[in-house]
Amino acid sequence: MATPVPVMDDISIAALTADPYPSFRRMREAASAVWVSDARINLVTRFDDIMTVERDHGRFASTNPGSLMNKVMGHSLMRKDDEAHQVERKAIEPSFRPGVVKNHWTPVFDAIADRLIDAFVESGETDLFGSFAAPMASLCLNEMIGFRNVAWQDLAAWSQALMDGVSNYGTVPETATRAAAASDAIDAAIDAVLDRYRDRPDATILSSMLHAEHAHSIEQIRANIKVIIGGGLNEPRDSILTTVYGLLLNPDQRARVEADPKLYRPAFEEAVRWVSPIGMYPRRVTRDTVLGDTALKEGDQLGICVGAANRDQSRFSDPDAYDVFRDRGQHLGFGAGPHFCAGTWVARQMVGEIAVPKLFDRLPNMQLDDDKPARLSGWVFRGPVSLPVRWEV
Amino acid sequence: MVRITFIQPDGSRREIEAEPGDSVMQAALAHNVEGITAECNGSAACATCHAYFQEDRLGGLDAMAEHENDMLDFAACERRSGSRLSCQVKVTDALDGMTVTLPEMQ
Repeated sequence: MATPVPVMDDISIAALTADPYPSFRRMREAASAVWVSDARINLVTRFDDIMTVERDHGRFASTNPGSLMNKVMGHSLMRKDDEAHQVERKAIEPSFRPGVVKNHWTPVFDAIADRLIDAFVESGETDLFGSFAAPMASLCLNEMIGFRNVAWQDLAAWSQALMDGVSNYGTVPETATRAAAASDAIDAAIDAVLDRYRDRPDATILSSMLHAEHAHSIEQIRANIKVIIGGGLNEPRDSILTTVYGLLLNPDQRARVEADPKLYRPAFEEAVRWVSPIGMYPRRVTRDTVLGDTALKEGDQLGICVGAANRDQSRFSDPDAYDVFRDRGQHLGFGAGPHFCAGTWVARQMVGEIAVPKLFDRLPNMQLDDDKPARLSGWVFRGPVSLPVRWEV
Repeated sequence: MVRITFIQPDGSRREIEAEPGDSVMQAALAHNVEGITAECNGSAACATCHAYFQEDRLGGLDAMAEHENDMLDFAACERRSGSRLSCQVKVTDALDGMTVTLPEMQ
């Protein structure tokens, strides 16, 4: 018998931001959906329920008239379903295919990683957030989009402003203003380069959008580039840091991975499961229905907490542990269903094959800095915000 | 209905009756056939519904798009001449009696 959504009014956004996992566990144990008063949304935290949601977009839609994301970025493919979504998704695919990533983007990413490490390799210490992960993700994204003359710091600031705007469930006015300014700056950066790809198609995302079978309109280009700037920067940045952090916290695993570089790839997948960079995203209930043990009403807003599902004990043994060698199984770090992360293969290559292995190769005996502990933050988006390390020079 | 036989890596066989119009991936999931993950539920983005179709009957299947062709090179198990992403193959009468072998892992 399905019961109404239980209310939890003792879970604050501040507590979720500091460490969401104890709260996620309570929610998983309580019901299929839980109303968290401070976040003003019904949170779905169990693995099997999220699979149900992602396989049934008739009942659980991505389209959302009141979407904060539509307000901040325009109506992107992330908030469309079915045919409308598929057409735009297909348009960008050529830039993201694993073969294109391997053959076209890998040398570009390789050079960026080496250049960044060159700048601090002699210093013996650094905070990998600012010196490596953030510029790595930003510079690679800059290349993939096809921007020219955009500083990585600007792209990173735009991405942060958009993400803050999208996760602004508390509706802070300055956050909305900053997001709007970032949106305008991105439109200008697109306008500055778009024409160069009309006659000269290449592997960039802007070029793919222009030359697709169903070419993007300018509104579609703007909205989808913003989604890609939001989703293409924080996530590789955070997963670089989380993978390094997981390996540095677990010297035995690190030794085995360093001895067999093929293991960097599962080390990356496990990092994305352990601390999923996108912890929560929304869906909308289209009609009165039941999810698991909980009755939902038409119009209910759901927060799909993949960060919680990836620690579901019914699915993963010892789920709070970082374990490169756990049984291979599906995680939800890239989502599931038709909105499965388009950048999955880019991230696998950029993070798991290039950024993380290069750091371990080039920074001998890299260790966490005992005097400056790493800090992690966030629940809608989560990752290290500071990762100070030392090594031998 | 269209009869499709799935063969597991251990050699065990199971025949299902698939609904025309579904993809082979959807038909397998609907009958709880083991060995297909289908993380992206049919978007050709994850390569976790890889399967080996009967090589002498590939001509009767939907043609392979460039994207699927690229993705198959990155499936967890080796690509062979019968390799397809089962989400991109529609169930039609041409598949009746087809055998589909599942890889060791997705």
